[in-house]
Amino acid sequence: MRKTQLIYASIIALGITISGCKKDDPIATATTTPASGYTNGVFITNEGPYGSGTGTVSFYSRSTGSVSADIFNSKNGFPLGNVVQSMEIFNNKGYIIVNNGSKAEVVDATSFATAGTISNLINPRYFIGIDNTKGYLSQWGAGATGEVKIINLATNTVTGTINTGNGAEQMVKIGNYVYVACSGGYVNDSVVTVIDATTNAVVTNINVGANPASLKTDATGQLWVLCGGQWNSGYTALVKTGSLVRINPSNNTITLSLPFASTTAAPSHLIIDQNLTTLYYIYNGGVYAHAITSSVLSASAVINRGFYSLGFDPVSHSIFASDPVDYMSNGKVLRYQTSGTVVDSFAGGIIPGNFCFH
Amino acid sequence: MNLFKKIVFVGAVLLALCGKAQTTIDSIHSLKEVEVSVLRSENFAIGNKSEHLDSALLNQYSGSSVADLLTSESQVFIKSYGLGSMATSSFRGAGAEHTTILWNGFNLQSPMNGLIDLSLIPSGFSNDVHLQYGGSGALWGSGAVGGTILLNNSIPFNKGVSAAVTTSYGSFSDRRQQTEVTISRKRLVSSVKLFNHDAKNDFEYANTAQFNHPEQKQNNAELKEYGVLEENYFQINKHQKINTRFWYQNNDRNIPPSMTQQVNAANQKDELYRATSEWQRTGDKLTLLARVAYFDERLRYSDSLIHLDAMSRTKVTIAEGETRFSIFKYDVINIGINNTYSEAIDTADYILAPAQNRFALFASYKIHTKNNNWKAVISGRQEFMKNTTIPFTPSAGIEGKLLKYFTLKVNASEHYHLPTFNDMYWSQGGNPNLKPESGWSEEVSVMHKLRYKAFGWELGATVFNRNIDNWIIWLPGSSGLWSPANVMKVWSRGVEYKLNVSCTVNKWKVSLSGLYNYVLSSVEKTTTGNDASLNKQLIYVPIQNAQGSFTIAYKGTSVSYNHAYTGYRFTSSDNTEFLKPYSVGNLHIAQTFNLKSSYLRLFVQLNNVWKEKYQVIAYRAMPLMSYQVGITLGI
Repeated sequence: MRKTQLIYASIIALGITISGCKKDDPIATATTTPASGYTNGVFITNEGPYGSGTGTVSFYSRSTGSVSADIFNSKNGFPLGNVVQSMEIFNNKGYIIVNNGSKAEVVDATSFATAGTISNLINPRYFIGIDNTKGYLSQWGAGATGEVKIINLATNTVTGTINTGNGAEQMVKIGNYVYVACSGGYVNDSVVTVIDATTNAVVTNINVGANPASLKTDATGQLWVLCGGQWNSGYTALVKTGSLVRINPSNNTITLSLPFASTTAAPSHLIIDQNLTTLYYIYNGGVYAHAITSSVLSASAVINRGFYSLGFDPVSHSIFASDPVDYMSNGKVLRYQTSGTVVDSFAGGIIPGNFCFH
Repeated sequence: MNLFKKIVFVGAVLLALCGKAQTTIDSIHSLKEVEVSVLRSENFAIGNKSEHLDSALLNQYSGSSVADLLTSESQVFIKSYGLGSMATSSFRGAGAEHTTILWNGFNLQSPMNGLIDLSLIPSGFSNDVHLQYGGSGALWGSGAVGGTILLNNSIPFNKGVSAAVTTSYGSFSDRRQQTEVTISRKRLVSSVKLFNHDAKNDFEYANTAQFNHPEQKQNNAELKEYGVLEENYFQINKHQKINTRFWYQNNDRNIPPSMTQQVNAANQKDELYRATSEWQRTGDKLTLLARVAYFDERLRYSDSLIHLDAMSRTKVTIAEGETRFSIFKYDVINIGINNTYSEAIDTADYILAPAQNRFALFASYKIHTKNNNWKAVISGRQEFMKNTTIPFTPSAGIEGKLLKYFTLKVNASEHYHLPTFNDMYWSQGGNPNLKPESGWSEEVSVMHKLRYKAFGWELGATVFNRNIDNWIIWLPGSSGLWSPANVMKVWSRGVEYKLNVSCTVNKWKVSLSGLYNYVLSSVEKTTTGNDASLNKQLIYVPIQNAQGSFTIAYKGTSVSYNHAYTGYRFTSSDNTEFLKPYSVGNLHIAQTFNLKSSYLRLFVQLNNVWKEKYQVIAYRAMPLMSYQVGITLGI
């Protein structure tokens, strides 16, 4: 009988020992809101975990350097959804594009309180404001298409569709015209679609290089387009390399086209500094600079580290770069001087994907 | 609807309590198999913890899927994407691809992704579900890392003709019909099982992922499935038997959106043919077994919103032979070969049409005491595959009686999991140079069992330890392309408890059971080096879960209540995000009326009776209370 008791005691002791290692229940990360609201800082859109969960928006305060995580859910009591693609501020409203969620959430850019939802979208990507009543929202649409949805800003509803090249992506407005980079979406394309913002009619499609995704206007009014190139079906090599293309918007002609050499690395994420004179982009495991006066691509990187995404803060004059680490946990955001010297880093959410400077 | 539910509930309770029904069938009495099993799992899986879900339990879940069965009745964590949606299993904190599912000894894991969707397997298609915990590469080869689910079929000879028809209706337009006809003669048994199931699954829930948490109806969740299982058993002579089985199934389901999505248009269609045959010769000195299987499975996944229409088809041919004999009185030797040929065809998603041939040699040597109270086994398996080095996987186990009422089990096994076709040959990112995931698992169980007159007691505790190295993870490379690599190392360990108490007084039978798991599954080597996921719990692995069930039966009436608790699950690898624990209670009431030469069985199943709002996977909605009422007529 003593042996029986011994065995029993050891079974129970074992359970206690192992269960004793139990950590306390996890505690949700608390969100701190700056007293003055989300004014002087940078919004980081975090895509969210692959396949499940939700994306978030974090806020980095320039004055204190503090970061507020998941500010949308903590203010409004519901998550953004997957995949938080981008955010744009227009007339003090924030337009947060949720890709798989097929919607855009509209918030007050200072308090982040919800101010409406734009629904019935399919694979939305980016927003820009046109005037006080109208905005454009680019989306891939269903299948091998691309389109710009016309948004009524008073009602947050879609009032019309403009067909563009495949996979409508970033947009810029120059004068009364909107230039849409058509990145190919589920297929391939090679055009920038030009839309007359008054009539909502397509003026022309400018052939650039393969799969243009990002574009920026410089100090001289010229438009720069970064084309990612076209992969083979196995994504092992580029059948068309990437290129950096300059367009003169006054006649929509290409004035410079600089092909990249690599057949295994696609350039991406074109940004421009506060003076609109130096471009930066991600290429081949580094961040490269390109002066707008230069007619050759730089051979050496400013930052020798590959990133998931880039942004340029025109206020602090610094480059924001994101590292999603393992794509399953909170990523990192690093700040760099334009010289390439790292300033500091802070935590973003899961897969930090885009930046919106306020 | 709510009132109707209440009426059904009250009616069923009254029916259950009145107890006037004339009956002799004890519905929780389990049918004992008379035949001595020749299965490897029964004879050579020694020292591993195992659980048998008997025919009485399977009867209760006959209209449900294996996913529903295991969610409520086992210690296996079932990762479900929602009602009618995909569900996979996690044994002891391992991945879904680390479970081997054997149907009468044949591995059903898809060669494409190493998974099997348990929501697509009808519980009623097996009459014995056996869960074997722990790794056992030596017995089952690739994939038997976390544990093994064995779905077995057997029908005894000489039982006459039996038939049953079941129809049920449940919440969310859930309709199920099943028919079963068995002819059991002296030397021949034939059986046909048919099922048909369709549901809208349009349950209402408060969508906390949308502004103002609106009441929403689940959309795009319709499913239709039907299937047939045909079995024949033939006793050739005193020593020889042969059987054939044929399984056809067709599934067509829409994939509902997550709570954060507004629309979804995804659909998945599966169609499968599975044919097997087994021959056995049992003798005093020598047992010979030969089995062959051919599986042909098609899948079509389409989603118009993301421009996807992917088709695939896999064919698997398995041939296995075993011979069993003894050298002296108290030992058994088992030597076997297995050849498995798998190919994926009719798909545009691979670089080449992938094909794989695996040949395996396996052997076990078992010794036991004269009274069979103690047994010990050593086993080993070596698989051979072109261009891949597969480790030799040994295992050793011992179990036996300790003192009067205790049983001790000890096992140590090596395990491995080969990369799947998707891992190796996916046209966008496949990596043909992957190594198998591999490691060791060890476990010790102690059980205290006693039976005093009509009172039965069983308390068991198991401690386990397991390492998985070279864990394959898909990560995006510099081109943004996702590609798999052997990067992670995961250490799992934990303790599992179970308790069963039963008591029979007069015609009353009461049983109570409880299960508790505490599992730590931590990342010892992360995907990117020294990141914040180091030493953290794997995502979607609950540290704690517990289950309890209570059954009371009197004559032909039975009432069962089952309660399952699942603890915190992390959703980010740095463990900063998590899902809250949840408890789900289900009630099952059945009444059997025995008529002259037939019987009638009525049942009511109430799921999630406490209306728990919960998510198994982040933002995948689950229904509140639902019901199912059904009737079986049998002879």
